[in-house]
Amino acid sequence: MISLSINNKLVEVDTDPSTPLLWVLREHLGLVGTRFGCGAGLCGACTVHIDGEAFFACQTLVGDVADGRVVTIEGLSKQGDHPVQRAWIAEQVPQCGYCQSGQIMRAAALLARNPQPNRQDILDEMSANLCRCGTYARIVRAIERAAEEA
Amino acid sequence: MILQDMKPTRRSFLVGSGSLAFALLAGGGVSVVRSAGAEPATAGLRDINGWVVINRDGSILIRFGAAEMGQGVNTSLPMIVAEELDAYWATVKVEQVSMDPDGIFGNPGFGGILFSAGSSSLEGYFDHLRRAGATARRILIHSAAAHWGVSPAQVTTEAGVLVNAASGKRMAYGDVVALPEIVTDIPAITDADLKPRADWRIIGSDPGRLDIPGKTRGAALYSIDVRLPGMLYAAQLLAPVEGESPVAVSDRSARDLPGVVQVVTLANSVAVLAERWETALAARDLLDVTWSEGSAFRKYGSEQELEELSRAVDDASLPAFAWESRGDAATALAQGTRKHAATYSTTHLYHAQMEPLNAVASVDEDGKGAEVWLGTQSQTISIGVAAGVLGTTPDRIRFHAMQMGGAFGRRTVFARDLLRDALLLSRAAGRPVKLMWTREDDVKNGWLRPATVHRLEATLDADGEVTAMSHRVASPSIMQFAFPTRWNPETGRDLLVMEGTESTDYAIPHFRAEHVITPRRCRVSAWRGIGWAPNCFARECFIDELAEQAGADQVTFRRNLLRNSPRGLAVLDAVVAMSGFGQAPQGRAHGLSFAGYKATRGAGVAEVSVEDGRFRVHRFWAAVDPGFAVHPDNLRAQVEGGILFGLSSLMRERASFTDGIIDQSNFYDYEPIRISDIPEIEVRIVESGAAPSGAGEIGVPMTGAAVANALRLLTGTTPRQMPFGVDVS
Repeated sequence: MISLSINNKLVEVDTDPSTPLLWVLREHLGLVGTRFGCGAGLCGACTVHIDGEAFFACQTLVGDVADGRVVTIEGLSKQGDHPVQRAWIAEQVPQCGYCQSGQIMRAAALLARNPQPNRQDILDEMSANLCRCGTYARIVRAIERAAEEA
Repeated sequence: MILQDMKPTRRSFLVGSGSLAFALLAGGGVSVVRSAGAEPATAGLRDINGWVVINRDGSILIRFGAAEMGQGVNTSLPMIVAEELDAYWATVKVEQVSMDPDGIFGNPGFGGILFSAGSSSLEGYFDHLRRAGATARRILIHSAAAHWGVSPAQVTTEAGVLVNAASGKRMAYGDVVALPEIVTDIPAITDADLKPRADWRIIGSDPGRLDIPGKTRGAALYSIDVRLPGMLYAAQLLAPVEGESPVAVSDRSARDLPGVVQVVTLANSVAVLAERWETALAARDLLDVTWSEGSAFRKYGSEQELEELSRAVDDASLPAFAWESRGDAATALAQGTRKHAATYSTTHLYHAQMEPLNAVASVDEDGKGAEVWLGTQSQTISIGVAAGVLGTTPDRIRFHAMQMGGAFGRRTVFARDLLRDALLLSRAAGRPVKLMWTREDDVKNGWLRPATVHRLEATLDADGEVTAMSHRVASPSIMQFAFPTRWNPETGRDLLVMEGTESTDYAIPHFRAEHVITPRRCRVSAWRGIGWAPNCFARECFIDELAEQAGADQVTFRRNLLRNSPRGLAVLDAVVAMSGFGQAPQGRAHGLSFAGYKATRGAGVAEVSVEDGRFRVHRFWAAVDPGFAVHPDNLRAQVEGGILFGLSSLMRERASFTDGIIDQSNFYDYEPIRISDIPEIEVRIVESGAAPSGAGEIGVPMTGAAVANALRLLTGTTPRQMPFGVDVS
């Protein structure tokens, strides 16, 4: 059994330590808001926070996060009202929505580290995450809004 | 920790006590079902499948028949119903239709079935949904009038409230549910009964998309998220080449892995069923399969195919199917003196929807029925496929159409194989099965946009007017492959390849578009923008080159060609004005493209620079005429997304195959556009007031030539092969 702190709760998971955190979140724990896109750290759909920083859950082995605090989209805020989430609604960002959990988690980690990012900071950070619907322009606007309103 | 296991049956949205469900039946009849009690008769509602359900508490459920893949139909279609119903929008909830046994919810513009493709939902449903809403409103009015003892003409509505001005009486819509008599014998709605446009307050407004709050919380559910009690996970080792099958399977070590339940050999794959997904993946790696290896597709490579296409487009002896013909282009071209001809090409493309394909099925004990969860662009076709696989009737398929994590054409008939295999695996195991493809599976088994080669020819008269033009496309047929039952080999009309060549907005007296159908060398399918994207790229590059030959500027030349198309002129003039066309900053150039999608007109301008052999698109302006915008902000979002989809395809997307196997694997060698590459985008909606038409794809076709024409100004040469690559010098 592996003990984990996920969204401020301690959980125990019965799996091999080399299992990617992504499968544990989605299939063992039912936290399906963290998405599977590529399994190779190329698209960012699986982005979660580990001790406040953005990580690809598909590239993180569950055995390596036993000491860390993992936060998923479901745990980002109690009411879905994190400034980034509110900005995402105000700017009407999502289309199909599949990549957006990962986008929001990466944006939230960026703002936690750098509360007033300039445009280049935003582009550099968010380049880790793909959106096939093409919501990028609204993602930039939403992050700028969240930075202003936070 | 909350485990969000889904129950095999969906919860009803209905709350409160009692409800009225309204359906507009084929032929104009009306069906109203009243239910009472805290748990309204869900079974009854399912039986009649009403467009509108009004609940006692005043909340209103509006169903939509299209499939949500990101295009926002979950909000734009219910807005149309709510407008004519005169509903209070804040009380509206929506639900996607999964099954339509009575044929109520199909798209009237798509053969009356549930099928969402070709940006056709809004266009196809608009009129029908207005009548559905107006019919429900009239029933409320007649019922309230009867209750009050007044004439229906004396009852009006105000956003969810019925009003009799003379007596001052008012009744909320929800209160009608409790009336003793519901009047359903009402006169049919005619055009004159529909709201005049000046009275619209929901259509043309920007309520937020109803699905967006859930999508910011990770709460939207895709089929890949479904988890069922007792469910097994399936990973598939797929045949390396189309048409091959396993001939020998060594699965001993896979079976020995704890948690592996079964290894099943299917027609073109071997699947591992396991209690856990990570186990299924690990066991798949241990399979040793010998494949038949006799497929004819092993002979083919994409480079070879492009050469084949180039030869075919130039070989006048090859038969071609006419797609569009006006005047006598052949004669006029032969007689012309100022001639210009050019050849353009596009390579194969992969859809790269963010949710890898997957399917969830739970086959009944008798093997003759199933519950299915699938992201599909056609509920109707998927249900038919499922019934066919199990040798049963469609009524035995309990179908859940799930939100799709992108589709872009990949999930119409082109995704039926996973549904088939999930059903076969569930039947074999006697348990529910979730079959998932990895990204590598999704790429290697892509159904690609076909490569195309275009030969354009034209003649100019002494004044520089285009007297004749031809557009010959060499490409395999998508229709022939994907819709064989609807394919007519006599006429050879493939709208998925040829649409967009027609050039009907242009005043060209002699015009011909034709299709040289070449043999298929890989799996092919529709891709966002279908034929419009490659065809408009080639045509609009060519028009710029013709303008140069004629000694005219790109705008004047196109304005003259568009002299008979007020809608075409309007979008062209709008985008020229928005962009300050031709006045790009130092070191940059503007390129123009007039490129629509079906009834929607569009024009785009790209501002581009080249540095160190690499080009960059700094800004992109688009003017779009969708008739009028039902949901303007969503329409702009769709155009923005389409533009980026198009830019991505001309920058670096390229799928290729060698010996029948797709060369790419994942996003490192097939990389869609990233946020650092995007231009500033400005979209203007230019409403002509024509019937509303779709916007999901209009952004794509305008991009290719807008960028290519700017590159011609910067480098002196039009890049005639898409993608343009980094080295344009």
